[in-house]
Amino acid sequence: MIKVENVSKEFRLSKEQRKEHPTNDKYTLAVNNLSFSCNPGEVFSLLGPNGAGKTTTLRMLSTILQPSSGKIEICGVDAVKYPREARRKIGFLTGSTGLYARLSANEVIDYFASLYNVPNNVLKERKAYLYDLLNMNEFASKKIGKMSTGMKQKVSICRTMIHDPEVLILDEPTSGLDVITAEGIIQLIRDYKSQNKTVLFSSHIMGEVDLLSDRLAIIHNGTLKHQGTMAEFRTDMEGQSLTGAFINIVQS
Amino acid sequence: MIFKIFRKELKETIRDRKTLLIMVAIPLLIFPILINVVVNVSSSFSESAGEKVLKIGIIGDTNDILIQQLNSIPASFGPKEFIAYNGDSLKLFNDQKEETIDLALWYDSGFQDILDGLGTANILWAVDQTNIGYSERITGYMNIIEAEERLKRYDALGIDEQKLQPYKITYQNTASDQQMLGELAGGILPYIFIAFGFLGCMYPAIDLFSGEKERGTIETLLTTPVKRWKILIGKMLVVVLSGLMASCCALIGLFVSIEFLDLIPDPNLTTVVSKILTIPIIIKLFALLLPLTVFFAGIMIPISVYTKSFKEAQSIITPLNIVVVLPAMLGLFPGIELNYITACVPILNIVLTTKSLIAGNIDYILLSLSFIVMIAVAAVAVFVSFRQFGKESNIVN
Repeated sequence: MIKVENVSKEFRLSKEQRKEHPTNDKYTLAVNNLSFSCNPGEVFSLLGPNGAGKTTTLRMLSTILQPSSGKIEICGVDAVKYPREARRKIGFLTGSTGLYARLSANEVIDYFASLYNVPNNVLKERKAYLYDLLNMNEFASKKIGKMSTGMKQKVSICRTMIHDPEVLILDEPTSGLDVITAEGIIQLIRDYKSQNKTVLFSSHIMGEVDLLSDRLAIIHNGTLKHQGTMAEFRTDMEGQSLTGAFINIVQS
Repeated sequence: MIFKIFRKELKETIRDRKTLLIMVAIPLLIFPILINVVVNVSSSFSESAGEKVLKIGIIGDTNDILIQQLNSIPASFGPKEFIAYNGDSLKLFNDQKEETIDLALWYDSGFQDILDGLGTANILWAVDQTNIGYSERITGYMNIIEAEERLKRYDALGIDEQKLQPYKITYQNTASDQQMLGELAGGILPYIFIAFGFLGCMYPAIDLFSGEKERGTIETLLTTPVKRWKILIGKMLVVVLSGLMASCCALIGLFVSIEFLDLIPDPNLTTVVSKILTIPIIIKLFALLLPLTVFFAGIMIPISVYTKSFKEAQSIITPLNIVVVLPAMLGLFPGIELNYITACVPILNIVLTTKSLIAGNIDYILLSLSFIVMIAVAAVAVFVSFRQFGKESNIVN
């Protein structure tokens, strides 16, 4: 369960940044009074154009960034006050595939499992399950630096899920992937949902959102523009395509 | 948890060829190569300089008494050949300028008569002093013939040579060979360790912080429930170990050059150096190097955390090398000694303490003070690293 209440995040602008975006303001508001919730057994999509504040929101949810104000709850844990407790319950996949190029897939997975204190017998089971699901067995001993983008993304997802988190936060999980790999990941998200876990993901691909989401939120310039179920969104489209409806909401 | 992070970071660091080259290969090979090159070049140079036949242009004739005297000097003092110019000083001057002759020798025309009259004859050697070894060679020739001539005059005047020598002075060096080496070369050893320690720390410090940020891996690591200070310490230990490893490899390279490769021709020097490179001195040296390396890691990590890319971090940390080496160089100057003031100057205190350790005249109170000062600055550097690593603006690009 993810609960976001009136969360805002402001960043201090450097002199260079103030020159780049001509402004005299010392601070910029990346996320403005955002509220939404995501329940177990539900896939929640966070949508928005580039620079809307999606990544900042996901970084706050994963406790990398602290909100300037507001409250975030992860499975009943106050993530602002007790970030370490919250992190135990989260699996976070960053936008850029951040993996250690000089380690093999096996070494990366073992390392992250050890950081989450996953017992050896559980690790063995989880690895077998995820490696089969993601077709990773063939390249498990291969160095990350020598892997294709698809392989790296699979390792990243496996790393995100190795400790069997209650909440899965995915920042554009299928970005840059071929159709087959993307399909595997979509299947995995569905499986996770069916285990009554919470999945929140950001995406640009409307077809993917349509396929997976139970509920969605659209943000623009850090402000919530729309929130509701996917069914409601489809009803409100009034004959438009999903992309058209998304653009309408953003531009309204 | 710290150990888990340390183990993984070490594994990754060891797999980086560039870091391994700077951490192990270069420090290990630098001394054998450097000593080998210096010894071989200098010995082959002095050999060839000693064997060279000097072409000496003379203003007079080869039958002149001075030339006969010079010719009587054995060839073991250096072979020579005389070319007579029979008063043509212009040609003599030009030939030396065009380097068809090595040296030019002028002397008074009535040279024999002056000597017979117990007068003082003028001799002028024209030497291009950029040709190393020429001056020494002719000084040797002149000492021999002047001594012979002086003896002849003592005989002619009936003077006992001993009576012209009122004192027999002996200057005895009370410093041991170890003390001499400590004073002359003792500063070089820590200077080299400081340079290699810094270099050894540099690449892992940049790679494990700025590099991780650039590659986007730090964000992944920070979403785990590991405390940030534990991540920092785990990474820092690898940086410190790399610095110590580079220093250690430099020491092994030096030891191997002296003990096994027989690269130092002077056996006395080898014995003295072997006496210095003892286990207790090496332990004390590394005890001093440990806080120094932590200090290096502590000043590099905040920079690496603050910068956004490997290149940016490298462009700031590389010139820092000069700032670190400057106080180390101060310790090489004669007259700067370990006292209560210099013991409080980081880096300089390490050089001076090591100098005293090698010379065998260490004051243990000053040694302890240097150690405490280094521990204190290392602790401050670690604290600064912690503060920088904790700032979210430094973590996310």
